[in-house]
Amino acid sequence: MKATVVHDHFPPASNRDASLGYRRREHALMLLLMSPAVLVVFVLLLIPLGWLIGQSFYADGFTLEHYQRILTERIYWNTFWVTFRISFIVTLLALLMGYPIAYATSILPRRWSMLVLALVILPFWTSVLVRAYAWLILLQRSGVVNESLMGIGLIDAPLALVHNELGTIIATVHILLPFMVLPLYATMQKIPKDLIQAGASLGGSPLHVFTRVFFPLSLSGVLAGMTLVFVLCLGFYITPELVGGGRTVMASMLVSRNIQLYSDWGAASAVSVVLLICVLIIFYVVSRLVPLEKILGAK
Amino acid sequence: MIKLSLSRISFIGYVVVVLIFLILPLLIVVPMSFSDSRFLSFPPSSYSFRWYETFFNNPGWMSAAKTSLIVAFSTALIATPIGVAAAYAINNSTHRLMRYLKIVLLLPLIVPIIIVATGVFFIYALSGMLYTIPGLIMADVMLALPYVITAVTAGLHGFDQTQEMVARSLGMNRFRSFMSVTLPQIMPSVLTGAIFAFIQALDETMVALFISRGQNQPLTVRMFTALRDEIDPTIAAISTLLTAASFALVLLLVLARKQAPA
Amino acid sequence: MKDTNCFKYLLGFSVVAAGTVGADDSLADGQITFVSQGGAYQEAQTIAILDPVAEALGITINQESAPDAWPMIRTQGTTGQAVWDVVDTPPLNCVRGGNQGLIEELDFSQIPNAESMPEEYKTPYSVAYEFYSSVLAYNPDAFDGNPPQSWEDFWNVEEFPGNRALRNHPLGTLEAALMADGVAREELYPLDVDRAFEKLEEIKPHITTWWTSGGQSAQLLYDGEVDMLMIWNGRVSAIINEGANAEFTYNDGVLQNTHLCIIEGAPNLETAVEFINAAIDPEYQANLPLHIDYGPGNPAAFDTGKIPDDRARELPSFPENAERQVLMSYEWWASSAGEEAERRWLDFMQR
Repeated sequence: MKATVVHDHFPPASNRDASLGYRRREHALMLLLMSPAVLVVFVLLLIPLGWLIGQSFYADGFTLEHYQRILTERIYWNTFWVTFRISFIVTLLALLMGYPIAYATSILPRRWSMLVLALVILPFWTSVLVRAYAWLILLQRSGVVNESLMGIGLIDAPLALVHNELGTIIATVHILLPFMVLPLYATMQKIPKDLIQAGASLGGSPLHVFTRVFFPLSLSGVLAGMTLVFVLCLGFYITPELVGGGRTVMASMLVSRNIQLYSDWGAASAVSVVLLICVLIIFYVVSRLVPLEKILGAK
Repeated sequence: MIKLSLSRISFIGYVVVVLIFLILPLLIVVPMSFSDSRFLSFPPSSYSFRWYETFFNNPGWMSAAKTSLIVAFSTALIATPIGVAAAYAINNSTHRLMRYLKIVLLLPLIVPIIIVATGVFFIYALSGMLYTIPGLIMADVMLALPYVITAVTAGLHGFDQTQEMVARSLGMNRFRSFMSVTLPQIMPSVLTGAIFAFIQALDETMVALFISRGQNQPLTVRMFTALRDEIDPTIAAISTLLTAASFALVLLLVLARKQAPA
Repeated sequence: MKDTNCFKYLLGFSVVAAGTVGADDSLADGQITFVSQGGAYQEAQTIAILDPVAEALGITINQESAPDAWPMIRTQGTTGQAVWDVVDTPPLNCVRGGNQGLIEELDFSQIPNAESMPEEYKTPYSVAYEFYSSVLAYNPDAFDGNPPQSWEDFWNVEEFPGNRALRNHPLGTLEAALMADGVAREELYPLDVDRAFEKLEEIKPHITTWWTSGGQSAQLLYDGEVDMLMIWNGRVSAIINEGANAEFTYNDGVLQNTHLCIIEGAPNLETAVEFINAAIDPEYQANLPLHIDYGPGNPAAFDTGKIPDDRARELPSFPENAERQVLMSYEWWASSAGEEAERRWLDFMQR
């Protein structure tokens, strides 16, 4: 918007042709400025993506066998089922944990809300690897969590909390929670306080005001956060590899194994393409409701 | 308004529990880094600087740390100007193409990282860039671009473009007017973008797992193998150091923001 | 960037120098990248073999670890971009790697120390480095004086309840499953793969962790995550030395060895060959058992007088121990049936 204003004012529009030429030069310059960034993404991402898509249809000529395999072989079905199940549970848990945090941040006095935000962001800057290590310490059979639960008498025998799907979910929620909280916080920040007060002064109970006024206004943040968490979780690799106990195999691990263990690029690329299509569909649908930049802003 | 009803107390309690969930794993790593044992028992039975010594005395760890720093600095140095140029173009142009190019530049964030890793691995295997430091840097530049662009675009939104126009109408060329008028004012966002680029390069694991090996592997890859192969507490020591460093960087960021004219 | 250029330059120079002048230790600025399996084992061989060899040859040995080297041997070979030089890995990987052009053929005229070694300790691509065993280990406290002593016991969840772990790899695991199913040790090969997977299916619900690396298996037992597991004998004796509550039996153990081999197109081929020759020198080989319970790959090490008798008795390759175990057949694992069995593993893990 600002840019159009600028064009109207400069250069002084004395001559239409000159102005047109100026615009053309301007466009060319802007595209030129854009080109290094686009080139990098083009060479390192778009070309390989095109190649992967090609590979997924290739085995000594055109074929659908790699996709057929995904549909017919149980191992592929299982992997996608596990991946989606984990992503769904993680997203739900992240929402249940993240929404109250974001809500608290938006209603607390500034000093407190800054503290809460800092606590949310701190793990953000800690390596995923280290957090997997920490969860191994906390969740193992004789780990902190089991010992304390047994100490207070809640359980008699240690629970199997790690080296399985449960451990993967716990550690993944921990990693993705900030991606839920930040878009929620950004949205809630923008909800006018007087609107809430107006609701309250009109005699609504706090719960009523929350469900009728606040919550609906925060929905775009909920959508953004859920999308981000779900999509990131679909592509998770490191956490399930380290705390999954060897049997929690998610889609990206299948891709990696197919390449590294079997050099089976066909199978790997077909799995990649299916995964990518899922992600793109989700982003496309959601971007009709919430602008893409808003979803990715937190990342 | 400040009624301490039961629901309020339980709400606060719930928030505190979630916050503990967030922080506990980070807190536990610090004492573990001073453990005297190689195993995971907590609390450690005795304390020592053993793992810090391992980190600083092992040439493998040190060369990995060096690689990481070189890669992170180079990434920030390359990604920032490229990203600033792109953000400037996005902000100033109304060309139809821009809309699509903008999405293209966000792709590194959208495409699942395993697919990015596979793709980069393939392109590098073809071009002989596999297992090289320049290869690692370029991959990190690509992954950092969206962060830089997002940060700088936000900065440009809050900047009054007519100032640059005035400078140009006074006879400065475009580049000079940008450098002397615009850049100083959006500096905090540029710095934010650069730090994001730096941290993301320092933290990147997945792509590096595919495209780095031997002497050119960064810290994260070595940490991954150490964790998978040995469950080596050295990574607790590194993590404590890294967290301290990232924290210092974030502080720097906050300070830079505070100094910026609102 | 500078570093890699510099490195390439140096490399080019040293190759030329080696070609014209011949291998001259004092001139060649030698270094190699050596890959083993991490943890206590890698630490032990660093002290026993790698450090003394590096000093004797005046070279730098850069170490890496990979619990399953095969995927990386494959990618480096197929992309033609080798960064590793010498790999310490089961001979299976050396042989099939060699057959697929991923591993260099060894020029044994350059490796005089291998001359006296028995033929079955060598392949065209590799030479034996050490002996170890995949044994059954347990936490004695969990079994009250009646610990499991065979894979049959391991599979018997009624009499021996408790958390169990196996390696997330078919090598050795299929052997254990067949022994648990009553197959006699001397009749294992060729493995009845269907029967083995069927038997594994039976124990699967009771396995808490499928470990991927030696370090992880040691941690599982040390921290009490599991009560019994299959583990490499050197790893379990290492944690017993660190004070862990653990015991193991050689009974039903799967006796294995690793070989040294060189990646096809290794960046430091000359130095790598020199290194291999030195690493199997009986004097250095005799150091290994002093630091971990693994037997030397070169039997001549026993003649050096360095290995005390009581120490030799504890090694997996000591005759009295060896006869209670089964010697793994790498010929079978390198065969197409073996490769097929390996492919089936992921499928098994997934269902």
